[in-house]
Order: sequence, then C-alpha cells, then structure tokens
Amino acid sequence: MLAIKGGTILTAAKDLPARIEAGMILVDAGKIVAVGGPEMTVPAGAKVIDATGCVVTPGLIDAHSHIGIYEDGVGWEGEDANEATDPNTAEVRALDGINPGDSAYAEAREGGVTTVQVAPGSANIIGGEILVMKCQGTVVDDMVIRRPSGLKAALGENPKRVYGAQHKLPGTRMGSAAVMRAALTKARDYIRKQEAAADKPDKTVDRDLRLEMVCRVLRREIPLRVHAHRADDILTAIRIAEEFDIEISLEHATEGHKIAALIAAKGIPCAVGPSLYQRSKLETKDRTVKTAGVLANAGVKVALICDHPIVPQQWLRIAAGVCIREGMSETDALLACTRNPAEMCGVADRVGSLAPGMDADIVVWDGDPFEYLTKTKCVLIDGEVAHCAPEAVSAAASAAGCCCGGHSGRCC
Amino acid sequence: MIKAYVGATIYPISRAPIAGGVIVVRDGKIAAVGTAAEVPVPAGAETIDVHGKVILPGLVDAHAHVGLWGEWYGQASSDGNEGSNPITPEVRAIDAIWPEHSSFADARAGGVTTLQTTPGSGNAIGGEMIVVKTDTTGKTVEDIVLRWPSGMKAALGENVKRYYGQMLKRAPSTRMGAAALIRAALYKARDYERKLGLGKDDPSKLPDRDLGLEQLVRVLHREMPLRIHAHRADDIVTAVRLAEEFDLDYSIEHCTDGAVIADFLGRREAKVNLGPTFGHRSKIETRALHFRTAGILAAAGCKVSIISDHPFVAIDHLMVCAAMSCAEGMPEEDALRSVTLTPAETIGVADRVGSLDAGKDADFVVWSGHPFKVRSVAEAVYVAGQLVHTA
Repeated sequence: MLAIKGGTILTAAKDLPARIEAGMILVDAGKIVAVGGPEMTVPAGAKVIDATGCVVTPGLIDAHSHIGIYEDGVGWEGEDANEATDPNTAEVRALDGINPGDSAYAEAREGGVTTVQVAPGSANIIGGEILVMKCQGTVVDDMVIRRPSGLKAALGENPKRVYGAQHKLPGTRMGSAAVMRAALTKARDYIRKQEAAADKPDKTVDRDLRLEMVCRVLRREIPLRVHAHRADDILTAIRIAEEFDIEISLEHATEGHKIAALIAAKGIPCAVGPSLYQRSKLETKDRTVKTAGVLANAGVKVALICDHPIVPQQWLRIAAGVCIREGMSETDALLACTRNPAEMCGVADRVGSLAPGMDADIVVWDGDPFEYLTKTKCVLIDGEVAHCAPEAVSAAASAAGCCCGGHSGRCC
Repeated sequence: MIKAYVGATIYPISRAPIAGGVIVVRDGKIAAVGTAAEVPVPAGAETIDVHGKVILPGLVDAHAHVGLWGEWYGQASSDGNEGSNPITPEVRAIDAIWPEHSSFADARAGGVTTLQTTPGSGNAIGGEMIVVKTDTTGKTVEDIVLRWPSGMKAALGENVKRYYGQMLKRAPSTRMGAAALIRAALYKARDYERKLGLGKDDPSKLPDRDLGLEQLVRVLHREMPLRIHAHRADDIVTAVRLAEEFDLDYSIEHCTDGAVIADFLGRREAKVNLGPTFGHRSKIETRALHFRTAGILAAAGCKVSIISDHPFVAIDHLMVCAAMSCAEGMPEEDALRSVTLTPAETIGVADRVGSLDAGKDADFVVWSGHPFKVRSVAEAVYVAGQLVHTA
C-alpha cells in the first residue's frame, strides 16, 4: 500500500470533486483504491509520498503522438511512421514500428505524460492501425493498453504532396476523398461477400488484412481518426463519415475554430494541435493557440496533442498552459490532457482520472502543472515510480528520504 | 511627442528590476528610465498608466530565418539556402527578405523587436546576414535594417555534407571536406587581399573584382564575424580551430553539444547562439538537445543568447525558451539577458537595443505579468515608440 498525502488533488474524475485540498490517494497493486481529503488516515504499514505543497494530477495523456515510431535524435533510421508506398496501407500496425527504447519515453514521463495514443503518419489516405500505450516498459506488447484504438486516415496536403509528386492518385483533394471512399466501399463489399459465404465453405473469401482493418471501422469497433487541418478538409471528413455511418475523430483541427459550432453540433471530438509549432504549410497558415479554447467553449470534446515529435512529448503541459493563456478554462485544459483523451482513446475505464479502480498513473508536481517553471517531483505508472526528480534522488543520498519514501527502489 | 509609462515593474536588464518605475519616451528613443523618485514625468508628457504590468526590452533573437524561408509559403518563399555551390559568401540575406512574410507578425506577437536573419546551413559558407527590426508594416527591408552585414554564415556538420555529398555527390561529403573548403576560401581571400595590395602601386596587377572574396576579406579584418553553425562538440571545436587559425571574430550557432565542452568554450568567453531547443531532435547531431545547456554554458563563462532559429522553433515562443532554460537551471537574470542584451551585443547592435537605457531605441514590451509565467501575455509591443502589436 502506498499513500500520496497532503497535496492538492485535481481529480479530473466525473464522480469526485474536481479539486481536493490536502488530499490523499491510496494505491495498492498498481491501482488507485481510495481518493479523499484530510479526513483520511494513512493505513498502517503504508509507504508515504509526501505531496504537501504539491499538485497531484492524473498522468497526462496525449491522444495523438508518434513517440517511438519517429525516434528521437536518430534521423532517417528511426523514421517508421509512414509506409508511403501506397495511399491505403490499412494493414500496417503502429505496434510493429514502435521502439520502446526511444529516449523520448523517459522525457515524456519526466513531463508527466504517462499514456499516449501512437498513430502512423499522414502520408497515406489510410495510414494504418493506431494503439494506446503506457510510457513505461521495454516490450511494446506489454505497454499497450488498447489495440487497435483506431485507424489512421489523412486528408489535405500531405497525401497529395507525397503521391501527387509521383503522378499517382491522389494528386488532389478530390482524389484523396475518392481514395478514402473507395477503401470504405471495397471493405463494405468484403463484408457482403463474407456474409454471403458464411455457410458455404466453398465460397470462403480469401483473407485480406487491409480490408479487414477497414471493416472494423465500418462495424464501428474503432473510429477512423482523420488528419484534417483546414476547415474544408474537416468538412470532407465529416461528409464521408456520414456517408458510411462511421465514427471519426478529427486530428489536428487547426481551422476548427472557424467551424466550431458545426463540429459541436455533430458531436465529433477533436485532437487539437500541435499549436506550438510553426505554420509549416499552407494548411496550417491560420494556426492559433486559441483554437482549443474556442472549440471547448463551443462544447466540443477537445484533447490537446503534441503530435510528437513535432512538439516534443514532454511539453504537453506547456501546450495546455499556453491554451489557458489564450482563453481556455483551466478545467477544460486539464480535462483536455487527461479524461478527454482517455475517453477519445477508449481507455477512460483505466486512465485519465484519479478515482478508485483506476490505474495508479499519478503525477506529483511541485506547483501548477501548466507553469513553465514547474517540475514533476514524482511520476507513477501502474503504481510504480516511473520518474523521480533528481533533487529527490540527491536528497535520498543525504538520507533525507526521497519523494516516494523509498517505495520504488528506482530512485533511492 | 513625449510619453511616460508609469507604474510598471521594469526590467531594464542593464540594471536591477525597478518596482513602480517610469519610462519616458521621446522621439522614438528612451529619454529616461528609473524609479518614480528618479524620473519625474516631464511637463506636457502623455502619461500611460501601466500599474501591475511588467515591462522588458523588446526581445532580440540572434539567429532566425524570419522573412527568408519557412511558414506556409513553401518553395515560393524558400530563399534561405543558395544550394548551388558550397561556398557562396557573395549572397546577401537583404536580397531575399520579404517584409510581408507572416513570420514578422509572429515575431511581434512574441515580443521580438530585433532579430538577425541569416542564410541557412546548406553551404559551408552561406552568405551575409543582417539585423533588422520587426516593424515591417508598410516598410521596405532598407527601412528596417539595423546592421548590415552583421556576419557571414558558415556551417559544419551534417547539413552541408548531406546536401552536397549525399544528394549531389560532390564536395564536401565529409566533415574534413567542409573544413577544407572553408579554410581554402579564407586563404583565397588572403591572397585576394595581397593582390589588392600589389594593385595599389601598379593597377595592372589588380585582380578582377570578386564580390565573395571581398566579403571574406571583411571577415578576415574582423569587420564582421564568421557565425558558424555547429551542433556536435567536435564540430564546435573545428569551428573554433578555424576561427583561431585566422584570428576571426566568431560566434557558435546552435552549440547543441556545448555542455560537453563547456570549459573549452568558457575559457574563450565564446559567443554562443544557442538553440533551437523547444523542438525535437531531428538528427543525430542534435541528440544532446536540452534546456539545461543554457545555464551550463552561461555558468562556464560563455555569452549565451537563446535563439528560436525560426522556423525551427516558432519565433513567438522565444520567451518560452528563456523560461524553460530558467526552469532547467539558468538563473532568471541570465535567462532574461539571453534574449535581450546578450544577443544585442553578439550581433553588434547593443548601442541601439537590448536594454532599457536612456538613449536607446524605445523598443519595449508591456507584459501582463512576469514573462516566465505561462499566463503572461505580451500585451503591447513597441518599436521606436510606435505600437506594433497588441494582444
């Protein structure tokens, strides 16, 4: 048993107060077993992390990252995000491209990010399978908490640049939409043929892993996660989603602020960002750090994203801070990097809030998590210390005890 | 026209912060800065109440590509690398700067009022740099120039050997090759200078004019520094080796591995234009990228300027880079200096900008709070006393 005691807890939980002063969180066997206020007492034998004067939040979640699949500081050899050899590669899997040894995971943990949704890139109209993973571990299969969590798709500049340059379809936005429609139509036919062959072994359809993956979107088992920056691309994504009655999320939504009411009316969640990046192409010309706040205020479910490595993963909290500066409420900003992405990724039963039964992914900050000068003191993933501030380590060396009270064996 | 900004906490940078200070602006220049007791509001001055605000000098970015390339314009405005020859000292940033480029507006929004904009690092010698103000609205590049030329760009490491060796299959294809080309160009400039000397007495001996070599002669004479792109520690040391061989004025651009050789650089009080740090490690030579480097180099005695290298870090986040360097161990005072007065000194314009002192240009930013607080915004940005951006 572990007790995190004395901090200001921002729960991000649906059924608990948003903020608990001088609170306590009890952790056992990797799960949160209790969350409460100063009335709680430390159970006998529990180890204690003293969070007095600190802020305690759920581990942060980024719903759109390329961590591990676009390795840090490696260059070409570490770039495995885009299988840019065919505009539809639904059969490829992020799982097969992720290197858990990417040094970016340690920095993610240091920045309080404990769960990420990792997607293929946006070179292809259909880019491949997406997964959700924890930021701690050595075997990617063990780090995964949901797979597949979506199928990556892309509209706009990237696919038409990649394939147009080769004089292949798609060379235009029209072509991009046509490729997406064709993929969904073909998968529908595949389902029809499979159903027709259900009781007729002689008519068994050859397996097609590409189509099978798209079929899962048609069956609404997973959403199509559509890269769309410009408002017209967003509207194309919505048009196709309604045509095929599929679930989608909007990835980037850089011009989402221009059509916020429409997106809200459709109830489509938006993974917004990377807003701290340069306007690197025409479709990001109107990027503004205000977009997330405008969408949230309009009632859209918003997750803030780094799109690592475009903005390094550990700066998710800074992205949230800058959004607060530009008009997003503090409540919305916290939710946009905790419970909202958890819900959008389909893992809200395990992560994204501090409540009994949830995974013990917990961050102890030495101040407001969104301030530049704030640091993580202690980061837990599944109840284990995944990062510990160096100051705490040296304090341990001087026998003063570290922030995790010797709980982890990792830092002291 | 005299204006007095009264009541803010002022960080002049050249001296300690002043609570409840007064800045008097006259004819685009700072007439006085100090406490209310030191600086009476002149008769007839328009008084602007800025109680509760924080005033700093306009930020100075010592290394950016604003107006030259980047942003959403694509190839149409990609004018940073004249990638047709590895040695192009004759090209000039001034001939490519587009005052309407959206990056100038982003610079103003981030509180950046002066910047050095520079050719890229595709060439071993890339061309002439320039220092400009960012108040471009309705102006030509000549209107915004503060210093020209302000340096000659050189580059070592991955970029130049990738571009020429790997893509074009020509020299330089190695680090040795890049250093050899720079060395050869500088010796050629020395020979050119010698021939110019011979031609003084005997015009028949004058060499044909060579605009590139003329620029390198200016580098040899220390009229402008060689500003050498170098990320990896060995590239930084090569840069110093070349600069010392020719007794050049120089600065190290990027200096990503600097912490590894902090003593080596500190002994030389090296001018380091450090960054871009608020981005990812896109190549092997940037593997050591970390915000802690700024504090380590400053503590070792280097003259550290924190740079955006826009578009690599969006220039509106220059102050964020300073704040994060502070978070990673650079004292606040040094971090603020590294985006104001130190870069102004390094790029040779500290007589005009970089601190709030009487006689300098009235380039300043009114922040809603301390700029190292994430909720603080650059509410009003002034260049030469003129309001150029409001939040």
